[in-house]
Amino acid sequence: MTAPESDTAAPPARPAPRHGPADPVKILMYRHRTLCERAVDPLEIAAGLEAHGVTDRAAARFRHRDVFSLAEELYARVPRADGPERGASAGPEDEPEAPNPAPAPDPAAPAPAPRSRFARGAVQLLPGAIGLATVAAHASVVAPTPPVRGAVDAAGLLLTVLAVRLALRHGPLRLRRGPGSRTAVLGAVWAVGYAVYGDWLLAQLLSGGPDVPGPHPRAAVAAAVALACVIAPAAGCAHWFARRARRGVVASRALAELAARVRPLLIGATLLFVVAAGALTVGAQLLLARAGSPGGRWAVPAVVALAVLLFLARLLAVHGFPAAAAAGLGGAAALEAVALALVLTARLPGLARLGTPVEALVAAAGPAAVPAVACAVAALGLLVRGLRALTGACAHPPADMPERPGGTPVGDPAEAHRP
Amino acid sequence: MRIGLLTEGGYPYASGEAHGWCDRLVRGLTGHDFALYALITDPRQEARGPVELPVNARLMGQARLWGDIPTGRRRAAGRRARRRFAEHFGDLAAACVALSAGEPAAGAEAAADGQADRFASGLYGLADLARGSAALPALLRSEDAVRALEAVCHGAGAPSAVRGAQVADLLAVAAELEPALRPLSLAWYGDAGLAAVDLCHAASAGTAALPGLLAKRFFGTPLLVTEHGVGLREHYLAHPAAPRTVPVRVLLAAFRRALAAETYARAALITPGGTRARRWQERCGADPARLRTVYPGMAAGPFAAVPDTAADDSATLVWTGAIAPDKDLVGLLHAFADLRRTVPAATLRIIGGLGADPEAAGYRAQCRALAAQLFPDEAADARTAGENPVSFEEIGGPTAPTAADAYASATVVVLSSAVEGFPRSLVEAMFCGRATVSTDTGAVCEVIGGTGLVVPPRNPRALADACRALLGDPERRARLGAAARARAFELFTVEQNIAAFRGIYLELIASAPGGPAGCGAGDGVPRPFARPAESRVPGEPPPTGTARTPSWAQAEQADPAGQTGGRSRRTRRGAAGEPAAGQVW
Repeated sequence: MTAPESDTAAPPARPAPRHGPADPVKILMYRHRTLCERAVDPLEIAAGLEAHGVTDRAAARFRHRDVFSLAEELYARVPRADGPERGASAGPEDEPEAPNPAPAPDPAAPAPAPRSRFARGAVQLLPGAIGLATVAAHASVVAPTPPVRGAVDAAGLLLTVLAVRLALRHGPLRLRRGPGSRTAVLGAVWAVGYAVYGDWLLAQLLSGGPDVPGPHPRAAVAAAVALACVIAPAAGCAHWFARRARRGVVASRALAELAARVRPLLIGATLLFVVAAGALTVGAQLLLARAGSPGGRWAVPAVVALAVLLFLARLLAVHGFPAAAAAGLGGAAALEAVALALVLTARLPGLARLGTPVEALVAAAGPAAVPAVACAVAALGLLVRGLRALTGACAHPPADMPERPGGTPVGDPAEAHRP
Repeated sequence: MRIGLLTEGGYPYASGEAHGWCDRLVRGLTGHDFALYALITDPRQEARGPVELPVNARLMGQARLWGDIPTGRRRAAGRRARRRFAEHFGDLAAACVALSAGEPAAGAEAAADGQADRFASGLYGLADLARGSAALPALLRSEDAVRALEAVCHGAGAPSAVRGAQVADLLAVAAELEPALRPLSLAWYGDAGLAAVDLCHAASAGTAALPGLLAKRFFGTPLLVTEHGVGLREHYLAHPAAPRTVPVRVLLAAFRRALAAETYARAALITPGGTRARRWQERCGADPARLRTVYPGMAAGPFAAVPDTAADDSATLVWTGAIAPDKDLVGLLHAFADLRRTVPAATLRIIGGLGADPEAAGYRAQCRALAAQLFPDEAADARTAGENPVSFEEIGGPTAPTAADAYASATVVVLSSAVEGFPRSLVEAMFCGRATVSTDTGAVCEVIGGTGLVVPPRNPRALADACRALLGDPERRARLGAAARARAFELFTVEQNIAAFRGIYLELIASAPGGPAGCGAGDGVPRPFARPAESRVPGEPPPTGTARTPSWAQAEQADPAGQTGGRSRRTRRGAAGEPAAGQVW
């Protein structure tokens, strides 16, 4: 109903004789059909009619006391468009206020340009690439003096850390709701540090060391490189999980149905990640640990367990459960620290029995069994927590939900990253 | 007196309707202190920052109604808090669903009351929970909220519109309710906050009134609600950026309705800005006895100096306003064409800029083209350049430097809108003592009240006839103009608006109970001047128990009150009430 029509066509609120002897309300109904069909109560129709200039005096021409009772009649007479909204094409005229039809929230946002997708995927590959490059540079230094090698290592380490930071701040591993918890960061740093130096340290402690001017600490380079490489499959699995779960939210009617949909997704994503992490770790071990790792034959499972733990913790944090993530990482770190502390405490007179379990474990399976057990227990705990927390609806808000001010929209980078 | 002014998306941030009257009120009532509590709805408003406030107003609290949860509390809610939350939120949601279940049939009044009670108990339960330092915003976005909504929507007795709600809909509803209920969890209810306020004045019945409702509940502070445009109506007309599904709209509309009904039920007085707002409020359950229309005040100063219409045979029609399709300028041009057939000397000045409508620019071009088509340019003789009898001008241009100049040049002021709210240009024309012809839309009849001609909307011939009648009768024009000016100065000035609110404030504070229910009763310390003089109306038995201390005994009696640590609101009101009383009476 726009003014240009008004001067040629008949006035809207007037059943003038030239319209023929039709029911006056019927004409009004036809004019405002879109409004009436999408209205959720008579008051909405009343508000819409008033916005179109229908006053109580106009309503009196339809033999109604006021706009409200006129709106009630319209509400009663026009069949409701229950269920999904119908398109505006149903209406004879486009109501100026009619919103766009088809409001079904489609999780698949318009796919971003392939170039940015590649760029975003490359960001996830960057930490692994830089780690490998560092190892290669370390090996191929022309004049292998300690200061040169040290500088190369330090530069590589710094670049890798920056790349990890970059990868965790973009794409599917980005925290969307508020800052992460400090406990989680500390726990993760401790657990990664333990994966690199812990086995050597534990072996030293068990053998009575470490001696004060002792040998240079032996780093599990393969583990570090494997952990850096594993970020890419983690991002891929997280993205797959988030996308499928959001689709599940749109498709399911009840929360139980949603949980039933998401549970296999979570297990599937975890298994997929376990396979990918295992392959990468084995590859890294074959490539880099020719001299044998300090962790013994449990080295690969330990790294895989840690990777899964980090993956699940990040997944929980990304989906709005940073406390659970912090608990898992903190738990693993605490277990590892307790193992070290037990060995040290066992040196005190009379407390030798305290170190027995750790010693037995290491004797049976090598020093890497300690982080393997710690991380596996924590990862299992997080998986159980995730099966409860991540199967809820709140973990998967649709893309158009309100975001933190300044943050980029949720759906966009998540969609963008498709390795 | 200390007034807590509660606004949403308005004063002191945005400029607009609600901003205008709040500003005039605060500047007009210098005898009262205003504590402003602003809810900001728009990032752009916040970026612009608040306006400079007069000395008697202070911005005591502000909160955003969008984006992330503002509280810095990271502590997760305990199991008990979560259980209580689920219970209260379930009540709230169930009341909304029951309200949306359809028309309350005849005889369902009791059921509706029960649902209103349930809504209220849920709302205040949530408020108590938030006051007990549970992180309510986080809870409102938690799985518990979604689960409660699901239980209600998919439960027995839910209407079919919400029974089809999907998980995504439930999530959307929870995400929309959280900002709407955010005032519950703000830290505004401390001793220095709303507890120290004598009267809450809410600028709308929606979310802005929530702090007032809580102050009423916690401290017994009376609540005054002023609405020019009804919040509920605006909710229906608003169109969010993302389209909502039917269950979401049903639930949100029911929530807004229930909230408005609760506000109207608790408000001590409701002051609609016009008949339309009043009808909406009555429709939403406001008690007519507590409704008092207070017309918005407009600055009459620049228009008071405009001289009365000259009793000559000038024939200038003036239309002012913001050009938009709603204003039906096309109809006005057709009416003018009709008029020119019998009054060839008539000219029409269309004075105004573009409205906010995106189609306004195109509409103005269309009107210009139509004017050029309908009326050929005219010149006095063969040697002068021609001119169109219809001119499009803007206020601030050389021909109309101010609005008052525009009205001063008018013989008759015309308002041709097809849709209208409160017609400000009509009031301005009345201030200028001009005879008017206007269409029967919005609040026009209410404003004009017989001091101008009113024709049906979209009826160019009737408009032309009315203009012709006025142009041909200078005496009637003068009579109508004088009557319009008298009426406008009686009803629509800022002064009458402020005087009305001054009276309402005093009336409310006089009829309010002496103090909060919880404090002051036990310690037995007399509280002189705790109530103003009006509370002692003849006929009411003198209050017993709490002693009325004579004023000379006040000094030594008041001291213990300060020292015992009972710094309750009551003593503060006594202290603050004195200067206010001196000012006003």
